[in-house]
Amino acid sequence: MSHKNLKVALIGNPNTGKTSVFNQLTGLKQQVGNYPGITVEKKIGYCKLNENTKATILDLPGTYSLNASSIDENVVIELLLNRNDPNFPEVAVVVTEVENLKRNLLLFTQIKDLEIPTILAINMSDRMDFKGISLDIPHLEKELNTKIALISSRKNIGLDNLKELIANSQELSTKPCLNASSIDPAYFDGLRNAFPKELLYKLWLVITQDVNFGNLQRNEIEEKSFAKPASELKKMQQKETIKRYQFINDVLKVGYIVDSSKAKGIRAVLDKILMHKVFGYFIFFGILMLIFQSVFSWSGIPMDFIDESFAKLSSWTKTAMPPGLLTELISEGIIPGIGGVVIFIPQIAFLFLFISILEESGYMSRVVFLMDKIMRRFGLSGKSVVPLISGTACAIPAIMAARNIENWKERLITILVTPFTTCSARLPVFAILISLVIPDEKVLGFINLQGLTLMILYLLGFGMAIFSAYLLNKILKFKSKSYFVVEMPNYRMPLFKNVAINVIEKTKAFVFGAGKIILALSIILWFLGSHGPGANFENAEQIVTEMPQNKEIHDEVLQDEIASFQLENSYIGIIGKGIEPVIRPLGYDWKIGIAVVTSFAAREVFVGTLATIYNVGSHSEEELTIKNRMEAEVNPVTGEKVFNFATGISLLLFYSFAMQCISTLAITKKETNSWKWPMIQLGFMTVFAYVTSLIAYQLLK
Amino acid sequence: MDIQSIIAYFLVIAAAVFLVKKFFWKKKKKADGCGGDDCGCH
Repeated sequence: MSHKNLKVALIGNPNTGKTSVFNQLTGLKQQVGNYPGITVEKKIGYCKLNENTKATILDLPGTYSLNASSIDENVVIELLLNRNDPNFPEVAVVVTEVENLKRNLLLFTQIKDLEIPTILAINMSDRMDFKGISLDIPHLEKELNTKIALISSRKNIGLDNLKELIANSQELSTKPCLNASSIDPAYFDGLRNAFPKELLYKLWLVITQDVNFGNLQRNEIEEKSFAKPASELKKMQQKETIKRYQFINDVLKVGYIVDSSKAKGIRAVLDKILMHKVFGYFIFFGILMLIFQSVFSWSGIPMDFIDESFAKLSSWTKTAMPPGLLTELISEGIIPGIGGVVIFIPQIAFLFLFISILEESGYMSRVVFLMDKIMRRFGLSGKSVVPLISGTACAIPAIMAARNIENWKERLITILVTPFTTCSARLPVFAILISLVIPDEKVLGFINLQGLTLMILYLLGFGMAIFSAYLLNKILKFKSKSYFVVEMPNYRMPLFKNVAINVIEKTKAFVFGAGKIILALSIILWFLGSHGPGANFENAEQIVTEMPQNKEIHDEVLQDEIASFQLENSYIGIIGKGIEPVIRPLGYDWKIGIAVVTSFAAREVFVGTLATIYNVGSHSEEELTIKNRMEAEVNPVTGEKVFNFATGISLLLFYSFAMQCISTLAITKKETNSWKWPMIQLGFMTVFAYVTSLIAYQLLK
Repeated sequence: MDIQSIIAYFLVIAAAVFLVKKFFWKKKKKADGCGGDDCGCH
């Protein structure tokens, strides 16, 4: 039996639960990528509708209308206007939210007018009783010429009905909601006569939007005298919007009734507390504190387990496999390298668990609103909070998220300062250094000192971002006005499935994104550490054995001396020694220097690099964890621990402020369309990090 | 050279190639979403 595969696009305003619907329909059968040529996220999932029909579901970026004002919105329009696009939908599902149905229907009517078979999914139907809302579905279906699925993606209600409607999409009417001619009859009649084969509303979008349509060239329209001044087009667009709302109002007058006497809600009460001008900030910082305490204390047990397991595996491989280069590569390079990635999964998962819960519950939007007043003083917009908070995950999507800031100056400042926010790649570096130099003690009897240090580092990064924004605001001389609009979603219980998928996606991105780089670098580092030029490396055993001070030492100590001498004369040792004069004032030896250089590819490489270097440089048969090896590292000249308090703080500050990320530079270049800004970013952050670490080390040593 | 060394060096070369490709290789933009001459990507 042949199976039908329908192409379905999920379209809707932001905050309508579109992604929840996507997750419910597709589960984990998702692929995340980018649209060609741009970095807007493209999510495709697969769903079985019934025995004979499957669907490929495309989750499009949230948009309020088909009048594009951002790159995300352009993606939606370009797809819906290009029937040759391989992703062009056979069915569009417009996801709306029951409480904001009127506003959400504007987009629905526009999509209907493109004559694409469209289903209206009214989400969050479980809140109807709570809000005293009743719907006349048959009336709405008749007036809107569509099929309606009343759903609750959070409670998994009505999704089967939606699947059924999609499977039977051939029954959908493609009759438009609005007669486009009514906007300006004379103008549209002329347009229809000039392009009889084209859809009238599509022509109108070509004229008003800055998007490409191939055959239907803008200049062709202009040649036929249909071009109008921008101000006139704007007026016509306003007229169109008014006409659409008149239509929607007429439909909803009968089909959508709100009995406010039946409505009950705690939203107002919660908003009063959480967005209070004093308590709001205390609550926010209290929540942050709780998150960082939990990230540290909860992830300790799984991290220790992973660390010990990899140490055991490395030691077992060394004895179980026949001696040779491959055995050395696996036990000293690959296993410690992979261990350096896997060990941080618990912390990253916990951090994203909390961030997802805050986003899902609707609290994050309140934080954006709360912070807007503060942000404005520093030349940022309230919308800058989103990139700055997203920056705790990764600066790359965070910088991309700055696209929704309309004002160029505010957007540029946001792009430039976002890499100061502590991203998840810094977390492994911070975690290992904190556990080495900050005692595992309690302050005031209940605050874990290590967790507190981590929180201070996050605040330091955030504070530095704000301070740099203030400086940039004074230095950059662009003049522009901006407005702040943010939507406050309802408070809701976080949906386990959404939180879980988000945590899995983010953790997967860390493991498979950075993990591949770390693994490859571990292999290269192993090679550079176990090979070297010249006689010193080749004859290390003979040279060390013949040294007078080594004549009477124990065999095991002698083996370590040989390994250490060999490492110093290996390729990596030579490179490290070369940069040592620059980094010595910061308290770093040449081994740390190597880790600092390699971690320019990705910050988290720092730990993996040290794990590999210390593994190559040791002949000990004991099963040593990464932390143990770092803890045991001693300066051969002074006899002091390498990772002491001064060096630890110096490194923590260096990694808090230094750019150390090629990918972030690449995305800044892409978003600013110039090498000037990423170079300024790199120069400023590196110099600032160097100077701060230098001062800290010199004061603390 | 024994088989262990051959595999080890092969892995080292593969890792180096991967890193060079990742950070220094300029990928040509491929218009994956291109649906024909009138798709607007050209």
